Amino acid sequence: MSVLQACRQAFPKRAAGRVLVSARGLSTDSNAPAKATEEQSDIAPIPQRDVVTADVVSGAPAELRHRAVRIFQPTRSTTQSGSGKSHRWRIDWDILPGAGRWENPLMGWASSADYMQGTRLSFRSKEDAIHFAEKQGWDYYVAQPEIKRIPPKNYSENFLYKPNKLRIVRTK
Amino acid sequence: MNTIPARLARAAQISASPEQARQRVFQLYRDWYRAAPEIISLYALPVSVPFFRHAIRRKFEENRYVTDQRVIDVLLLKGRQEYQETMNQWKMYDHVMGILLESRKGRPRSFLEKFYEGRDEDAVLPAATGV
Repeated sequence: MSVLQACRQAFPKRAAGRVLVSARGLSTDSNAPAKATEEQSDIAPIPQRDVVTADVVSGAPAELRHRAVRIFQPTRSTTQSGSGKSHRWRIDWDILPGAGRWENPLMGWASSADYMQGTRLSFRSKEDAIHFAEKQGWDYYVAQPEIKRIPPKNYSENFLYKPNKLRIVRTK
Repeated sequence: MNTIPARLARAAQISASPEQARQRVFQLYRDWYRAAPEIISLYALPVSVPFFRHAIRRKFEENRYVTDQRVIDVLLLKGRQEYQETMNQWKMYDHVMGILLESRKGRPRSFLEKFYEGRDEDAVLPAATGV
């Protein structure tokens, strides 16, 4: 076996990008009876929590159970220096694979048949968003926010005396 | 037609036990079942009584495996509301024909139709297919 093959086996494709959490065990799948599955020793069971299966009574289309949602924190707007609106957590839906979008033949506008493409939900915390997704029986994955590193200001460094070193005199 | 707003109104109720919730579901189903001829004549529906009962049964079967008692109570409340609105003729013809009797599953698509749409899974369907 080559090294490449060994690496491929060690790191499956899914694990590299994102971890999808299935809330199927928490939701009520009304189409199939609950069947007991034998436990395997190397798989940790999902701890039972008291989650209301709100997807049954929410009135949302049942097709939403087959779509994964993304839980993420939006980045700061590039054109603004303030970090407003980037502290809340959002849920939004991935685009439908394959179809659901087309170009309007008359005006060339982008059209979509995906009723969730313009929908986004806002939450105060990540836990709130996760709890909501679990209640609705949606599969979700959490995009971890990048930790912002603000480098220390070093303007005064320009005027420090350093022996045996030329001071940089910056001009415009 | 003179309707009394409080007719068939039920207060929201929390079931004491799963057994009681089960009995309440049976009671609701029986009410729907017995009301089928009356609803059909009320709205002048072009369907038969067995078909109407079959549609009602399908609605109940959709939530057959719901085990959460709180959810069952909400479903019962919604069912009672639907029943009240239907029996008092607060709905219109299309509400009954299009929503109550509508089947969730669409027409099965052929292989070529799936190919033209560019998608073959039935689980996620967009609201329309575009041009």
